[in-house]
Amino acid sequence: MHQDAHEFLNFLLNELVDILEKEAEAAKADAAETSSPSEKTANGPKNPQANGVLKEPLVTWVHKNFQGILTNETRCLRCETVTARDETFFDLSLDIEQNSSITSCLKNFSSTETLNAEDKFFCDKCCSLQEAQKRMKIKKPPHILVIHLKRFKYIEQLGRYKKLSYRVVFPLELKLSNTMEDADSEYSLFAVVVHVGSGPNHGHYISLVKSHNHWLFFDDENVEMIDESAVQTFFGSAQEYSSNTDHGYILFYESLGASSKS
Amino acid sequence: MINTTNGMISTSSSSTANPQSPGLKTYFKTPEGRYKLHYEKTHLSGLLHSAHGKTVTQVTLAHLKDKPAPSTPTAPTSSFSASSGVRSAAARLLGAGNGSRALSFVGGNGGSKSLSGSSRIGSLGASSSSNSITNTNFDGKGTYLIFNAGDAIFISDLNSQDKDPIKSIHFSNSNPICHAFDQDAKDGHDLLIGLISGDVYSVSLRQQLQDVGKKLVGAQHYNKDSSVNSSRCTSIAWVPGGEGAFVVAHADGNLYVYEKNKDGAAESSFPVIKDQTQFSVAHARYSKSNPIARWHICQGSINSIAFSIDGTYLATVGRDGFLRVFDYSKEQLVCGGKSYYGALLCCAWRCSTFFYTVACCLLRLKSILFPQIPSLLFDIEYSKFLLNSIDAKYILTGGEDDLVQVWSMEDRKVVAWGEGHNSWVSGVAFDSYWSSPNSDGTGETVMYRFGSVGQDTQLLLWDLQKDEIVVPLRRCPPGGSPTYSAGSQSSHWDNVSPLGTLQPAPSMRDVPKISPLVAHRVHTEPLSGLIFTEESVLTVCREGHIKIWIRPGVVESQSSNSESMLSTSSKDKPLLSSKVGSSSYKQ
Ligand SMILES: [Zn+2]
Repeated sequence: MHQDAHEFLNFLLNELVDILEKEAEAAKADAAETSSPSEKTANGPKNPQANGVLKEPLVTWVHKNFQGILTNETRCLRCETVTARDETFFDLSLDIEQNSSITSCLKNFSSTETLNAEDKFFCDKCCSLQEAQKRMKIKKPPHILVIHLKRFKYIEQLGRYKKLSYRVVFPLELKLSNTMEDADSEYSLFAVVVHVGSGPNHGHYISLVKSHNHWLFFDDENVEMIDESAVQTFFGSAQEYSSNTDHGYILFYESLGASSKS
Repeated sequence: MINTTNGMISTSSSSTANPQSPGLKTYFKTPEGRYKLHYEKTHLSGLLHSAHGKTVTQVTLAHLKDKPAPSTPTAPTSSFSASSGVRSAAARLLGAGNGSRALSFVGGNGGSKSLSGSSRIGSLGASSSSNSITNTNFDGKGTYLIFNAGDAIFISDLNSQDKDPIKSIHFSNSNPICHAFDQDAKDGHDLLIGLISGDVYSVSLRQQLQDVGKKLVGAQHYNKDSSVNSSRCTSIAWVPGGEGAFVVAHADGNLYVYEKNKDGAAESSFPVIKDQTQFSVAHARYSKSNPIARWHICQGSINSIAFSIDGTYLATVGRDGFLRVFDYSKEQLVCGGKSYYGALLCCAWRCSTFFYTVACCLLRLKSILFPQIPSLLFDIEYSKFLLNSIDAKYILTGGEDDLVQVWSMEDRKVVAWGEGHNSWVSGVAFDSYWSSPNSDGTGETVMYRFGSVGQDTQLLLWDLQKDEIVVPLRRCPPGGSPTYSAGSQSSHWDNVSPLGTLQPAPSMRDVPKISPLVAHRVHTEPLSGLIFTEESVLTVCREGHIKIWIRPGVVESQSSNSESMLSTSSKDKPLLSSKVGSSSYKQ
């Protein structure tokens, strides 16, 4: 199995969070030891169990930059009750289609899906499995939007994973319009992780990073400056059998927050 | 015997409509009837060199008013002219029996894959014998398709069923990327070609068709060796009524104005652009040199340009996502606005062919009767006439936000967003031949038909009700109160912005949305353009495959004689085999 860049990214971010939380705890413990008893009492009522289970989750720089909140709305088709459940995310994993765009993949991601047959929903009100409609909305868009294209797909007929070389175009600017916020949040592309290779079991990663208004191409120790227009050579292949094996796999968009909230 | 074997091969090659895409339908339905796949045109992919950079195919439609004179005198003894003579008979037959061709074409669409290889052999042969192509007959309409792919420009006869081009012109130093044709051009040079290197040529299309070689002949060369601008040409256009003036847009945000009768050898130089973000125009210091002016329009690439039919306005779209509309003669920005997000890739004006003809006649009359008067008054009156009488009021754009934008010149803003593409919109066009079925000329319910193609391989057709878009959107979001909390924004939306200003990107909720009437997957590759003709809709993909979809009315009117045509052609074996004989000769 290949070393998956998306898995690695998840691992890295979670590991960073762990480390930062441990550091913060250690710092807090230090502070608790050195601080005077009077101060401790003053803080007491607010945080009765500083070291216990009810502590506030720490908001690290990883959360500030990467974390967004999705709302998973499920509507029971029998009693019409809408169950909304928030979940946090560090990246969005999108199903892809041949000759499509990220905009279209995002639209599909938040489109309404019917849960039925094998996949029914347990409604708390009806106390049973029911048919339901489900949709995902972005409640809080992250500062850095990481989009993972599901290029490695398990094909049941083949009994194995296959790499989808589909051409999925991604613009240098993007807006999320399916958010629950008032303004459409605007993003700018600043990095792309590219998987090079025709199959899921082998290959190579390269990356494109925008730095000081120039696009840089990183291939192991080889670093080159490339033209912005070269980014489009990593969209994928419009035909299944193509000599082009370099496909955009993980996209990094940064919020242009200030200008979008004007 | 050779004829027979090759005949089979060639027949199969022309009838195998889609060897690589059996899943595509050969028709699509609209309220007025079926559009059917009529012909396909392509190039000789085996011979393409893309060493100079990747190109995307664009198509230009060219009407040569008269038939080109045959370059080779007819000599009945040579097998070459004998076969071409049969070809001409076949072409005439086909021209008369469009319906029959469509039938046989569609019928053979699911053709066997094993034969697609042989079709390639046929194509190869055709290309290697470009010396015979100039003699190919067409049905007298003189309509050609000019398209680029790889390092070549290809010319196909629109009204023949031949899949292969009749002429290919190869460029040794760079790849051609954009082209334009002016049927009213004086002194012969009617075709413009822009290259990746930034070089520009003007040539006579007729002269190319008459020449036997594979090189451009009799060309005027501009921006030679990128002496004025070294960035790639992106879009090129004749100035309507501009007496040989044309403009070339480049990937660095500059646009140059040339005059073809000026000496190309003396090249102009322009001052350094002080502020890349500002629009500025610089004129050449010497009146004899080309280009005569440089317009710096934007930072980043200009992706497409389009003149309003009378040449009053020039629209540009680019990498920065802005549509800009200029008063061409005044060299002033009139209005413009930003896409929802991302670059804009294409633009087109609403134009009516009837008024286009009127406009062209008037312009010609003016230049003939009053050559000494470059009267501005005339032009102003004339522009008013055009503006009031025709619908030069709408501009379509498409881009990386997957939206088709309808821009109103009256309101100086976006009046509708077409949602329906699943990828970037790469081509837009109004269907000026289409008339609303319930239009009675009173203008009560004016409808426009337009089309768009995208990188999602789809052709979308749209109907636009004028009433729908003139009234600003005042609807509430479903199940909620109107949320125009950002009051300044919505009041801004209602007002016509001052002349010469660019509008920021509208918010999703502010723009009325329209849905397509038809969405049809027409190719297997991402599309790059579309053209409406009187009889058909042409679609082209990035890789240089062109499909011609015949309009419903056209097929119906010819179906009566199609049956007789069909029987004739099937009975007439010698015709078929010798028709193919000509392609066997090519090898
Ligand atoms: Zn329920």
